[in-house]
Order: sequence, then structure tokens, then C-alpha cells
Amino acid sequence: MKSPVQPPRWARWLLSRLHPDNTLEEVTGDLDELYTYWYKRSGKTQATLRYLLNVVSVIPPFVRRRNTDKQYYQQPDYRPTLSLKSTMIQNYLKIAFRSLKRQKVATSINVIGLAIGLATCILIMLYIQDELSYDRYNEKADRIFRVGLMAKLNGEDVGGPMLGPNAARDLQQEIPEILKATRILKGGEFVSNGTSSFKEDNLLYADSNFCEVFTIPFLKGDPKRALTEPNTVVLTEETAQKYFGNQDPVGKVLLFSREKIPHRITGVVRNVPTNAHFRFDMLVSSPDDDEQHIGWMYSINYYTYVVLPEKFNYKQLEAKVTRLAERQIGGELQEFLHLSPKQFREKGNDFGIFLQPLTKIHLYSTFGGTELTPGGNILYVYVLMAIAAFMLLIACVNFMNLSTATAVRRSREIGVRKVLGSVKRQLQHQFLIESVLLAIAALIVGLLIVAISLPFFNQLTGKTLTLSLLTNAFVATGLLVGTVLVGLLAGSYPAFYLSSFEPVAVLKGRITAGRGSFNLRSGLVAFQFFITISMIIATVTADRQLRYMQAQKIGFNREHVLIIHDTQMLHKNEILFRDKIVQSPLVITASISGQVPIGNSALDNTPVMSRENPDKAVMSRFYKVDDEYIPTLGMHVMQGRNFSKNSSTDSSAVILNETAVRALGWQQNPIGKELIGHIDDNGVKTYYQVIGVVSDFHFESLRQKIGPLVMFLGGNSGNILVKTRTGQLPQFLASLKQQWESFSPAAPFSYSFLDDRFKQVYVGEQKIEQVLTLFSGLTIFIACLGLFGLATFAAEQRTKEIGVRKVLGASVGSVVALLSRDFLKPIVIALALASPVAWWSMNQWLKEFAYKVTIDWWFFAVAGLLAIGIALLTVSFQSIKAALTNPIKSLRSE
Amino acid sequence: MRRTYLGEFEEMILLMVAILNGEGYGVTISEALAEHTGRIVTFGTVHNTLIRLEEKGFVTSELGGATAERGGRRKRIFRITALGNQALQEIQQLRKNLWLLLPPDMLQPGNV
Repeated sequence: MKSPVQPPRWARWLLSRLHPDNTLEEVTGDLDELYTYWYKRSGKTQATLRYLLNVVSVIPPFVRRRNTDKQYYQQPDYRPTLSLKSTMIQNYLKIAFRSLKRQKVATSINVIGLAIGLATCILIMLYIQDELSYDRYNEKADRIFRVGLMAKLNGEDVGGPMLGPNAARDLQQEIPEILKATRILKGGEFVSNGTSSFKEDNLLYADSNFCEVFTIPFLKGDPKRALTEPNTVVLTEETAQKYFGNQDPVGKVLLFSREKIPHRITGVVRNVPTNAHFRFDMLVSSPDDDEQHIGWMYSINYYTYVVLPEKFNYKQLEAKVTRLAERQIGGELQEFLHLSPKQFREKGNDFGIFLQPLTKIHLYSTFGGTELTPGGNILYVYVLMAIAAFMLLIACVNFMNLSTATAVRRSREIGVRKVLGSVKRQLQHQFLIESVLLAIAALIVGLLIVAISLPFFNQLTGKTLTLSLLTNAFVATGLLVGTVLVGLLAGSYPAFYLSSFEPVAVLKGRITAGRGSFNLRSGLVAFQFFITISMIIATVTADRQLRYMQAQKIGFNREHVLIIHDTQMLHKNEILFRDKIVQSPLVITASISGQVPIGNSALDNTPVMSRENPDKAVMSRFYKVDDEYIPTLGMHVMQGRNFSKNSSTDSSAVILNETAVRALGWQQNPIGKELIGHIDDNGVKTYYQVIGVVSDFHFESLRQKIGPLVMFLGGNSGNILVKTRTGQLPQFLASLKQQWESFSPAAPFSYSFLDDRFKQVYVGEQKIEQVLTLFSGLTIFIACLGLFGLATFAAEQRTKEIGVRKVLGASVGSVVALLSRDFLKPIVIALALASPVAWWSMNQWLKEFAYKVTIDWWFFAVAGLLAIGIALLTVSFQSIKAALTNPIKSLRSE
Repeated sequence: MRRTYLGEFEEMILLMVAILNGEGYGVTISEALAEHTGRIVTFGTVHNTLIRLEEKGFVTSELGGATAERGGRRKRIFRITALGNQALQEIQQLRKNLWLLLPPDMLQPGNV
């Protein structure tokens, strides 16, 4: 019989869901009674409100649970047995070792899978840690900012990290918040200590307060006074060793450049850490400012850094800095271009300066080639983090799958334990301890893998990572705790699943996992193969692109071309040297030119105009060459002729490439047309006549489109390009070196081969391909482990079925097919999902290249077939084993 | 015997159980508490305290006495145990002793 007034149903439903079962009846009854009482006294609303309040007071976490165990109330001193007593733990460990030993294959697969996941994770973490640690070694790292130039000219971004020489001084004088400002100028110089000379590429000119801004530990010398005098130099340990061996270099003198200017050594510092955005072998005191050309916008070559007060928000400074820049740069624009900043901006141009935190330069800077060292990319850091997380996740999932699959074999043990009085929690502890044990074993193996693979990884990434980070107490505990957590997580499913078996069912040999858990596993396998197939497609695409680029017709012949560097150091003897080289029977031709078609990617384009249309500027690359250049590099002259030594007018002649001809608008017969190649400060134009056209050739990497190119005769110096016949190259090089030294230049003899430099250009792409191959290999391996676990599990589940089928006459083949068929489905789904994703992302990647392959359908076919093949191989191992088992064994127990 | 601590609120509830003498369950105990002490507390507080008292062994409980008003659900009826009785006596005795130790003038109203 029901009471006339009823509390809201949903509130009672809430109570019935959340209140502990064993006191639900009396509490519901009591609350109903109270509701009726309140209803009568103060009406429905009041009653409902009170009812709600009181319902809340009897649901977790407020409610106290009533202990059902009758004994608990009768014996005050009774305490339940702790399942984590030391004797029990000993027993768990013993059983764990025994069962792991008994299932050697399963155990080792499980450990190796997790170990690889952990190793990948650790390696990637090391890499990311290194990327994130850039410049943090500076004591003032958080207070140092770099001042860069923002500038737009004709809609093009021409800003960069550098400013003119005066910016630092002005900033420090005008803005009180800027405590210090210092500049770095990148340089390269031929340096000799009297007996031997070296080309020093890693040389920085620095202001005297450089060492006060950056943390540079001095081994010898006084950091405060080291760079105060002109023509002083500070060496790194390594450089000091190179020039002076173990002698004390302080006070000694080095001779710079071909004028042999003496520089006194005032200090020795530690080598610059690899995680710094600048690197130097020598620090040279800044040269005196050239009084004529000073300012912010003139000779923009100085990297300018400022130090701000502690805990100062640099954004507050931006307005002040902008005002100062507006005044200084604006003034210079007025002076040089006779334009006010407003007029300048109205033409679609823009300028300004910005502050960049020191610690963000490495990962966030977008200036690429103009940086002091090639930067990293925050995007790669995120992608790698995602990969690390995926790998770890997949490894954990597999670990879980395999543990569950193998643990099912131990159902009898669980049954016996339960019958002997073990409670759920004890079994859970047992399995958790086992899986933590396995995880720790995997961590040890993983660390071994890291230690072994670190040199290769360093080679691949070009870093010098060490394991020293792992010995840091904080990191080590983190790793251990993380691993234990992974163990607990991975072990939790088997632990809770297995401990919930009914002992009677287990002992009768009747346990089956629900269909649902099988579907979950299939989903996980599909996910793994989704990643695997995407990786395979990416690898194939990267490989095709690399091959395509290397096989491209580049428009000139790069074989057997030797390049001798720095020949400008020979002065007038440069031509003499060339003439001597040509006399060798091994040499076909030799040419002097500053420009080599590969490897220099400085964006020094210069405008040229056709005579007919002087307002339309075409930004072109200038090559200064001699008459031997085109034959030496085997370029093809399409129209007109090459430069000639005998023609006196050729000094005002040019040869264009096809792109330049098109850009200048000369469709037919460009020969004889004239272009404006130079306009001096007074507006006087110099005209050049076109005498020939060469077919387009790639003068940079295939990432860029071929741009317009203009070749001039003369003014060339810097390299000698030698086309050789194959033959005794070592002897030839030795004789070249001898001849070189006979001129006693300030520079050492150095050379390279054109095809080597060509390969160098694609090192980046090669690395991407290697990394992709590595990761796709790893994901394939890990996905196979997952599949293996699933196949083992399925075969285990269907033992009886297979037995019955075999008794009824099924062949081994049909049983194998039966077991394998289930696994094709997730892979086909994965293929269908992965194809568009991989296609899209690889197209994004290919966008960087001006000349690229198209992604063909067979890429997907290859990836799919590969995945299916590998999967079938993995599964068949288990299914054949299951199919070959004698049915008596599986049916005996019934 | 180990002396089990009895909190002030627990003591009140225990007294109510004793007063109701076999009629005490959630609703009546709450109502008696409100009536005698003027305290209005949530049902959860009373419920939790009763469970705690039972764990300490001061009360026992049994299910019974379903009525139509409560939709045929049984009540959990609480009775004080000998231990509970003893605990109340002890507290009362302790209070008495302490009151005797008070200086006589302190007992005068208005002097406190």
C-alpha cells in the first residue's frame, strides 16, 4: 500500500543509486516518513527541499557505511587479514617468478614490447629535454632578450634577427629598464699562429660586456677585461689546444686575415655548450664602428641582446622600444629614401622592432638561414611528444592484452587459491605485483636499449645526448614511479578481470571472456594498424621523393667536378694557379667563380630591368663567372653563345637562364636585347647586352623553384671549379696542395666535390626518411605484438571449438583460415582510415617542394599488403599451433 | 575494559535511544532530539552517529516494524546495550564528581 504523499521520484532514484545497499531500506523508509511529516507541517516545497538536503546527507561522501560482517560487531578486536603481509608478498614473488619462467616466450615478448615502448619514450624525452634546454645554461636566461627587426618591403618580409650597429648603444642609453645591451657579429677569418693557418668559420665579434650578459666560464683570463681592448681574442679550450697544444695561450698573438693583423689572446673559456643558439671557437673584440655607416638600418649584421631587470614583463617595454625605433629608423628612412615613416607605410611597406626571449630563440624563431645556428621547431617537439605518448600507450595496451591472455591459462591456479580462502583483494595484489615486476624488468631492458642505441640516435639527430640526465635523482625517481604506474595500470585489467572469476566455473574449465572485451581489443588492434599503415605510407612517399630529387635532371653535370675553396686568398695568383691546373693532363677545364650552383642558399637577389620596361624589376640571382664556367659545369647554351675571352665587348654582356628571359618578358629571340644591371647612387644606369641563354638548372635544392639568373663576365673570384678526368686523384690533389702552398697564401688548401655537396643538400630529407623508417619499423613491431597477444587470446578461448571441429574432420588449413579471418577485418578498417589521413599529411609535407612526386594508389596498396602480410604471418604462428594441437588434449577435461 | 570515547553528540543520541526505550529508529530519534534539545540536524548526521555507536558497541539494532506510511519498508530499531548504559552512567558519575569540586560561590547564578 502506498502512502498518499510521495517525495520526488528522481530524488529517491538518486538515493537508491548512491546510498549503500545494506542500509538502503531503513533509510528510504525513514526519509519517506519524514517527508510526510514535513509535508503536513510546512507544505510541498519545504518538504521537497528538506528531503533533498537530507538525501544529500546520506549519500557518499557524507554517509557512513555499515559493516555487514556480523562478527565485526561481536568481536571488537577482530581485524581482517592484511593481504600485503610480508609472507604473502614473498609468496606472490615466488609464484610470479615461477609462472614467468614457465611461459618464457610470452614473458619475453611482453617485456620486450614494453621495453621498446619505454626506450622510445626515453629517447624522445632526452631529445625533447635537449631541445627545451637551449640557452638555459645562462644565469640570466629569463632576463635576456634579443632585439630583431620587423620589416616589409614590397609585401615581402625582409626582417630578421639582426639590427644595425647602433641599436644596442641607443637602447641602453634611452631606455632605463634595459640594464645592458650587447652585440654579436658573425664572422669568418683566416687565422695563423705563424706556422700554420686555419680557416675559422665559427668566429664571433663581441662587445666587451658580452661575458656579463651571457654566462661564459673562463678558464684563464679576466672576463671583465678580456675583450675591452681592440684586437684581442678569447679562445675556447678546443681552439687553444688546436693552435698551442698544451701551452698557455694567454698573452700570445694570432695573425688575422691576409693582412696578418696581430690579435692578442686574453683568455680561454670552456667550449660552448651544444644547447646554445650560438657557437663560437673564438671571440674577437668588436671592431671600431665605421663612423660613416652607422645607424639601425645600415649594415644590419648585429645580433643585439638586452638584459632586463629581474621578474620584469618584457611586454611592458614594447611601447617604449617601438617609440625609440620609430624615431631612429624613421630618421634613417628620411635620410636615405627621403620618405617619412608615414609615406613609407603608405607604399605598403612597414618596419618596427621586436623583443624575443632568449630561451625561445631556438624553437620559435622563424628566420632560418639568418640565425646563428640552424634552429629547431616547436612543431617537431609536439609531434615527437605525440609519438612518444602513442608508443607508450600502445605498448601498455599490448602489455595488458598479453598479460590477460597469458593469465587466462592460470585460471586453475586462481580457482584453487579462491577455494583455499583467498579473497579478491589478495588475487588482485598478486597480479598487480606480477605486472609491476614485469614492468620493472622492461624498464631495465629499455634502459639497456637506450644505452645501446644512443650513439645511432645521436648520429641521426646530430645531437650529443648523454644518459647523464637519467642519473638525476628527480628524473630517476620519476622514471621508476612512472614505470610502476604503467605496471599497475597494465596489470589492473587482468587483476580485476581474473579475480572476479567464480571458482566453480574456473575449476570446471568454463571461462570465456565476453564478446565485448574482444571487440575492444579488435578496436585497439585497428588503431595500432592505423598508425602502422600511416607510417608505411609516409615512409614510402618520403623515399620516392628523395629518389626523385636525386634523380632529377639538374641542368648541369655534377660528376667529376672538384671545387677548390678560398682562392681569392691568392690575390693575383688566382689566375696563375688556374692556368697551372689546366696544364695537368687530368684536367679538362677549370673556371674561376664565386658561385657554385649548390649549397649557397643566401637570398641575395638583385633587381634587373629590361631597357624597354625599366619600372618592372625582376629579382634575379647574379653569377659572376669566366668564359670556362659553362663548359666546366656542362651547361647547355640554348641560344646565342658563351662568353668569349677574345671579345672585348663581353664585359658588358650577360647570359640569362630561361626563367630570367621569361620574367623579363622577351618571348622570342632575346639575343641582343639590353637590360639594366646596375644603378649607382646618382641614378646612372649601366646597360648589359644579352648574348646567350642557358637552359634552366637547379642552383639550389629542389625545394625551391628555379628563379631568374643573370651571368656576368669578370669580377669573379673565390672558387676554382675543375672538371677532371677520372684517374689518379690523390696524387693530383697532393700536387695541387703543393702548388697552392708555393704561393704561401694565408688560407689553408681546401676542396670539395660537387656531387658530395649535392648529396649534402638532401641530408635533411634523408634524415626524415631514416626517422620514418625507424618509427614505422617500431610501430610495425609493436602492432605485431598486439596482434600476437590477441591471436593467443583467441586461440586460447576457442580451444574446445577447434578440438570439436578437428574431431568432426576439419583440416588444419580450414582451422587456420578460421582463426586468421577475424584479424583481417580490423586491418582492412585501419587501411581504409589511414589512407586518406596519410595522403593528406604527406601532401602537406610535399608542399615544401617545388618539384615533387605525386602520391600514387600503389603506395596505399603496398602499405596495405605489407600490413596484411605481416599480420597474417604473426597470427598464423598462433593459429597453426592451435590447429595442430591434438584434439584429445583440449577435449579431455570434459 | 578499554574506555571508548563518547562524543557529546553521540552522548545525546545515545540518551535519546535510551529515552525511547525500544521505540527508537531514525525518525523518532531525530524528532526526540529536536524536541528535547532544539537541535535540527540532517538525517545523515543521525544515521552516521547511530552506525558509529553500534560499531562501538553501545547500541544494538534489528530490523522490524514496517508501516504503510513508509511504503512497507522496515525500520531499524535501536536499543541501548549494557555497555552503552554503563558509558552513560560513567559520564554522569564523572560530571557529578566534577561538580562537587566546584568552589561553592561558582554555583551561584550570575557568577559564571
